[in-house]
Amino acid sequence: MSFMQGIYLDNQSAMLPDPRVLDFAKRHLIEVPGNPSALHSVGLAAKSAVEEAREKVAELINAEDARNIIFTGSATEANNLAIRGTAMRNASKGMSLLASRIEHISVLNSMKDLQKNGFQLQLIPVDSRGIVDLQALERMISKQTIVTSVMYANGEIGTIEPIKEISHIVHEKGMLLHVDATAAAGRIPIDVQNDGIDLLTLSSNDICGPQGAGALYAGPDVKIQPVTVGGGQERGLRPGTENLFAIAGMGEAARLARLEMNDDSIRLKAIRDSLIREILKIDETHLTGHATNRLPHHASFRFDRIEGESILLTLDAMFDIQVSTGSACSSRTLEPSHVLLALGLKHEQAHGSMVMTLGKSNHPDQIPVVFDAVKKTVARLRALSPL
Amino acid sequence: MSDIVPDAELDCIGLYCPLPLSMAKENIANIDIGQVLKIQADDPDAEKDIPGWAKRAGHQILMFERSGQVATFWIKRIR
Amino acid sequence: MAQIGYSKKVMDHFMNPRNVGVIDDADGYGKVGNPVCGDLMEIFIKVKDERINDIKFRTFGCGSAIAVSSMVTEMAKGKLLDEAMEITRKDVADELDGLPPQKMHCSNLGADALHAAIQDYWVKTGKIKLDEVKKEDDGEGDACPT
Repeated sequence: MSFMQGIYLDNQSAMLPDPRVLDFAKRHLIEVPGNPSALHSVGLAAKSAVEEAREKVAELINAEDARNIIFTGSATEANNLAIRGTAMRNASKGMSLLASRIEHISVLNSMKDLQKNGFQLQLIPVDSRGIVDLQALERMISKQTIVTSVMYANGEIGTIEPIKEISHIVHEKGMLLHVDATAAAGRIPIDVQNDGIDLLTLSSNDICGPQGAGALYAGPDVKIQPVTVGGGQERGLRPGTENLFAIAGMGEAARLARLEMNDDSIRLKAIRDSLIREILKIDETHLTGHATNRLPHHASFRFDRIEGESILLTLDAMFDIQVSTGSACSSRTLEPSHVLLALGLKHEQAHGSMVMTLGKSNHPDQIPVVFDAVKKTVARLRALSPL
Repeated sequence: MSDIVPDAELDCIGLYCPLPLSMAKENIANIDIGQVLKIQADDPDAEKDIPGWAKRAGHQILMFERSGQVATFWIKRIR
Repeated sequence: MAQIGYSKKVMDHFMNPRNVGVIDDADGYGKVGNPVCGDLMEIFIKVKDERINDIKFRTFGCGSAIAVSSMVTEMAKGKLLDEAMEITRKDVADELDGLPPQKMHCSNLGADALHAAIQDYWVKTGKIKLDEVKKEDDGEGDACPT
């Protein structure tokens, strides 16, 4: 099964790292493989590669200082560091945590885990399009709420959150705002200073960098403590020998994303909008997430009376088109996605979901092919369905 | 302390949703009908999720014990 | 093309399901599962001389659910009712060269729907009473058996 032969519409779960990124990062496996902590010239060259990557990541999000970027092994790790590292460090100031209902499980479980340390967790409801309920947030937040976590955009439904408004509320009535930008970074502009963000999570593979790196931005006045303890790398906040290849790659990916994001988003938005327009022509089909405040490469739907895994399998096996689904059957527990349920969907509605995320390999010629395949897939499964 | 001797044991202490539930489902499939699975979990959601699942799936909760943050279930596979 | 560790047989039955459809004047009808849980199976049978003469199914569900429905109808077609009642959940899964562990409950639904259809026929023809029906699954309740 060649990755390049079919139509790949699941860029969110995995993408081919950009070949330019790989070429750049490869040097650090072959030519400059030093340990950034070593004091001789080989080590110093490696250290300088890490610092260069740090600058590039800082530029992507307009961080005031590159030193505010901490490299981790993944976005999940960055989320753990953001939540646990901040909560434990600032516990004397308050023991309350808030998160939206649609946060990634690494945020929700980090907060849950902190309940063992006496913290209280509350979940902020979202509306039927996934937008955080600002009035509920105002009611739930207090001066004891050390961290409020709301993602920049949600990867399952594409919805972009009103981060500036949320930031105002958090800074007026609570303390710190953490934003998981895994799905949004490299797709839409992020400005931590202008948007009023204290902590921000990034993922390397989600910006076409190599797997194995993530980053946490922590603003100048934010005090955190490490979750993984050891030596002095990353100012002691995330010790361990650096994954030079992945970090260098992440930096280069961040640089290319910053330069190409606008053109990419215009191009992908056009494809996205055509796909949405066409697919919504199919009966009993609904868009999930916000219709306009959505990621430029993201088209997600739910179809009445049929089930998500069988949609995914049919598209893959019959048409060589790869998509994702938030359906229960495709997850280990067979429970439907917590995101879809948070929108107020009933279980049976949450089962028929399909998520398409566009990337570099997608172009407008593919639209009629995809539409035809989805139409036939839906028809086939509806003919099979007793509902 | 319980006298029930389990046929299999599942330790989910430190693991969070959805792991305790998904591991419970897998582990119960690996024992025979009539055998007993002992599950330990300290995820507060597990105390609600595991009996809910057992009831829906038709299994019998022979016993439940809570000691500090750890909840222990002895579940007999019925189907 | 294997997904979630699906065997070739499962994929074959998923892509080319046998016996899809309804029988308007069915002699027996069984329905199990629940759209709330993501699985609903219907089986229709025509019976002649105590044999399953014709059998059709419709399923709302994942790859396993559709493959299992197709396989169980193929296994049951032409069998005597008593023989078909002997088909177990494990038999169906084995015929498909196995299912991933979290999908085993789909094989339950296949066998259960077949048995429900047969028992429905027996109730209709007076062989058993309604309260004697062995309820393996409640198609109407909110149980998500797994």
